[in-house]
Amino acid sequence: MIEELRKKAEELLRSDTVKVVFGYGEGSTPERTRPVFITKPEDVNKLTWNKYCVYNLTTYLKRQETRKLGKPAIIVKGCDAKTIIVLLKECQIKREDVYVLGVTCDGVGEPLATKCKACDVNTPRIYDDLVGEKIENKEIPFDERYAELDEYEKLSEKEKWDFWQKQFAKCIKCYACSSICPLCFCDRCIVDKNQPQWIDPSAHPRGNLSWNVTRAYHLAGRCINCEECQRVCPVDIPLNLLNKKLAKETEKNFKYRSGYNIDDELAMSTYKEEDNQDFFK
Amino acid sequence: MSETKFEPKIIAFLCNWCTYAGADLAGTGRKEYQANVRIIKLPCTGGIDPLFLIKAFERGADGILVSGCHPGDCHYNSGNYHARRRWNVFRPLLEFCGINPERIQFSWISAAEGGKWVETINGVVDAVRALGPFEGYQKLNTMGPDISGEAATSGETG
Amino acid sequence: MGKKIGVFVCHCGTNISATVDVEKVAEEAKKNNPGVAYTTTYKYMCSDPGQKLLRDKIKEEGLDGVVVAACSPKMHEHTFRNAAVKTGLNPYHVEISNLREQCSWVHPDKPTGTEKSIDLVRMMTEKTRKDRSLTPIKVPVTKRALVIGGGIAGIQAALDIADGGHEVIMVEREASIGGHMAQLSETFPTLDCSQCIMTPKMVELAQHDNIKLYTWSEIEAVDGYIGNFDVKIRKKARSVDLDLCTGCSSCWQVCPCKKIKSEFDMGLGNRTAIYIPFPQAIPSKPVIDRENCILFKDARKKNIPPNDSKVCRKCIDACPIAPVKAIDYSQEDEIVTEKVGAIIVATGFKELDDTSMYGEYGGGKYKDVITGLQFERLASASGPTEGKIERPSDGKEPEIVVFIQCVGSRDPAKGCSYCSKTCCMYTAKHTMLYKHKVHDGHAFVFYIDIRCAGKDYEEFSQRAIEEEGATYLRGRVSRIYKKGDKLVVLGADTLTGSVVEIEADMVVLASAMKAQDDAEKFAQKLSIQYNKDKFFSEMHPKLKPVESSSAAILLAGTCQGPKDIPETVAQAGAAASKVLALLSADELEREPVVAKVDRLPPPVFSTCIGCFYCQRVCPYGAIEEEDIKARDGSVIKTVARVNEGLCQGCGLCAATCRSKSVELAGFNDEQVYAEINSVEFN
Repeated sequence: MIEELRKKAEELLRSDTVKVVFGYGEGSTPERTRPVFITKPEDVNKLTWNKYCVYNLTTYLKRQETRKLGKPAIIVKGCDAKTIIVLLKECQIKREDVYVLGVTCDGVGEPLATKCKACDVNTPRIYDDLVGEKIENKEIPFDERYAELDEYEKLSEKEKWDFWQKQFAKCIKCYACSSICPLCFCDRCIVDKNQPQWIDPSAHPRGNLSWNVTRAYHLAGRCINCEECQRVCPVDIPLNLLNKKLAKETEKNFKYRSGYNIDDELAMSTYKEEDNQDFFK
Repeated sequence: MSETKFEPKIIAFLCNWCTYAGADLAGTGRKEYQANVRIIKLPCTGGIDPLFLIKAFERGADGILVSGCHPGDCHYNSGNYHARRRWNVFRPLLEFCGINPERIQFSWISAAEGGKWVETINGVVDAVRALGPFEGYQKLNTMGPDISGEAATSGETG
Repeated sequence: MGKKIGVFVCHCGTNISATVDVEKVAEEAKKNNPGVAYTTTYKYMCSDPGQKLLRDKIKEEGLDGVVVAACSPKMHEHTFRNAAVKTGLNPYHVEISNLREQCSWVHPDKPTGTEKSIDLVRMMTEKTRKDRSLTPIKVPVTKRALVIGGGIAGIQAALDIADGGHEVIMVEREASIGGHMAQLSETFPTLDCSQCIMTPKMVELAQHDNIKLYTWSEIEAVDGYIGNFDVKIRKKARSVDLDLCTGCSSCWQVCPCKKIKSEFDMGLGNRTAIYIPFPQAIPSKPVIDRENCILFKDARKKNIPPNDSKVCRKCIDACPIAPVKAIDYSQEDEIVTEKVGAIIVATGFKELDDTSMYGEYGGGKYKDVITGLQFERLASASGPTEGKIERPSDGKEPEIVVFIQCVGSRDPAKGCSYCSKTCCMYTAKHTMLYKHKVHDGHAFVFYIDIRCAGKDYEEFSQRAIEEEGATYLRGRVSRIYKKGDKLVVLGADTLTGSVVEIEADMVVLASAMKAQDDAEKFAQKLSIQYNKDKFFSEMHPKLKPVESSSAAILLAGTCQGPKDIPETVAQAGAAASKVLALLSADELEREPVVAKVDRLPPPVFSTCIGCFYCQRVCPYGAIEEEDIKARDGSVIKTVARVNEGLCQGCGLCAATCRSKSVELAGFNDEQVYAEINSVEFN
């Protein structure tokens, strides 16, 4: 599969279809990989593919430095490919400006990443070319997909509050979560707006709840659950639980799953007359 | 205990066209209600950013009411529908973080429903009074030194 | 560099001061608040001396912000803002604290009311501090109107506006104007002939110097806003040059396709493939029905240009116009753009013609079960039978006719929950027309209720019963079935509690008035609202009955809901008067409460990242895309921009924007923040 990937990358670069290939390269130890940006056909041997290719390369689609390299081919797993769909819907990329090199995947991480445990996108739902044996995407029941939330939803109000306060208290507002997120692409994050300053940007605990809640809310109906925020958090806040909770509510209330169908209206930019309103008096 | 009775602080974000006018109507009809509410008038509930609610809690509110036009009656056609969608995800998010949903309530109150305004706001005040002060959130404010410039510009600190 | 704010606390007689210590409120407003330069209380701030006090103090104290703590802003915000304007202060630096409706009147305990008032005043003081000057938006007005639909509503509205001296563009999608009214035989309650009153109006319209008529044309797109609409009109290929054609009739007389069901005659009569819909059509120039014309069918089959088909060229050969024929097979749809300042929507209704859902009435299978409009054509002197009542199946004069009311109407299960309003009257009329033509015939009417509220309406329906001898039976029909050449109508007479069985020769269904099939799509094209039945919604059911939800788009006639001719004409006149008022000004002024997307110096240009959620949520299509370009013309980024003319100031965009790059003037981020942040809860 690695050979196929390299061959494909080489073709794309030689034919000048793309200027750069965003892919995974070998890291400093065998359990690590790192992003590589291949611009010359002779460098394609730097590309690799293995179960340690956990992270989502689409975050490089938002960065000026990598955008400057020209039209990219980007290697995406099924989960990462969902980002492409959202970025297209949100006018951040044009379809013709990105070559999507999908790879089929039966799970990454050692131990297996949480996001892989209920994966229903082993084969990407959008790609220009696919590398690897096509895997029939499973249908996984709603409850199973959100099973991770159960133990937290079961907590009492106080337990929930205490749990999250303990988590948020660790936050040092390093903003690694938003930097890595491929969908946190604002030029100016709300936390950087200072007239007025809605969220205290300093490491003071005051803004911690506001920041973490707002970050999650801004991904409502958008997050595709790549878990990158959680992976990079230096203080191990389980940020993806918040994202996943929102994904669950979005699906439950609006029958919408982010990144699955390019024709679906973005959940937070539309409405239905019959939307849930049980909680309205 | 009775001397230091807890009085909940409620901030209400109201649509100018319906609930705000409904609250006016309650006044015209001299319908008494509990004085714990501070109203912020906006053109439409569709214009309420969840940040407003977060800020209200940060500022010390014990409870929040968001109230707008009944479905189908929005002055701007669809503002209340979009707002409803927002609260459909924001409310469970706060609940998931351990904030009692009774502290953030939502209602549809038309310009003609002065009585419903009184009932609703009294209901919110009573519910939040029963829950007690939202200490958890407010405690965050007092931790550590105040290093936020903006917080100081409003004059007093409460 | 703070503002100098003045706080004026009104006693409102004793309305406020009885339960609020106004002096204390004024005192506290100043305390701990260096921004407040002046405070006072006054008995009646809204009175002349009160307003003078406000004006004087603004000048004397050099105030650049004012809080009036008084009654609801809905009462006097306008008053105080106007007073401020007279001193040269921008009115948007004046805010109202609602101490009466939302405090003194609802909290009888004085200390409580006073405490709350202090807080309310502080909130507004802090908001005022962040107020910015706003200038009303001036919008130029294009002094022309568009009327969509050429039925009686559109014709009336167009004539009224044109007589008022303004140009009118009328767009009608059929080949002739006239609409449903032109199809009617006689009209209630006077039984005057519909065409006799309708056709002179149609002629007047066609000849009016101020009216430009597009028939066989549809609205493609509407862009723009109040005073400034760009309307794209699709002139469907008519295959006939309207300038050359004289309407001499040579072409349709020779057309070999003679068995096409006439839409105008509701399928009871036939027409040719090149045709005018009815003899009095305006323009009285034909159109080729390309679906049914054998030349076009042939061309489609062979996939050749119609001009190359040789199957039939009878009409073009018969056309006496020379050297260039008036018939042109190669004509194509053409899009024209017209600029107008206001739009009247008069697109009318559609009769419920799909009676197939009514299996108990034969499900559309029996030829002699016809609809109300079909009966109109039967009774019309210009109709397929020249006014003789003959049943469609065999042309026999029916001796017994059963009329069934509320077919589709008041029947949420199958049709519409609403009452179609006109059927009680037209059924009464139908019984009379029938009896006038078939003297010894018998008319039976099944009804749920008789609703004849209108001038001379009740008398009219009574006449049908008492003088013309129509038999009214209160009840529904459960079944119609065929027995020989008769239709057996099984129904109930709920007043006598008996089952009725009538052997009828013909049955007339008073079918519901429905919204046009494409009403929903059309409404979306115009950004106007519609109800569950797809009738267009008025802005206010009582006080703004002809305004749609979009500014300068007005409603007339049955597109807004079922109504009869007098009501339609009255509404059309009302809509026209609104248009005339609008077009009487050269410029319109609008409240500057509109959204704005930020613009910053390079290299940022705007914090907008161009995700266009704002565009998706905007109910008015007011968000546009703007390319920010480098000197060489290359696009640096595409960001959102608000069209001020379209924006109505709801703030949906601002609340949707994650980076807060768009703000609503008058309720901007800083103002709302200041309000929230200043709540103290004394």
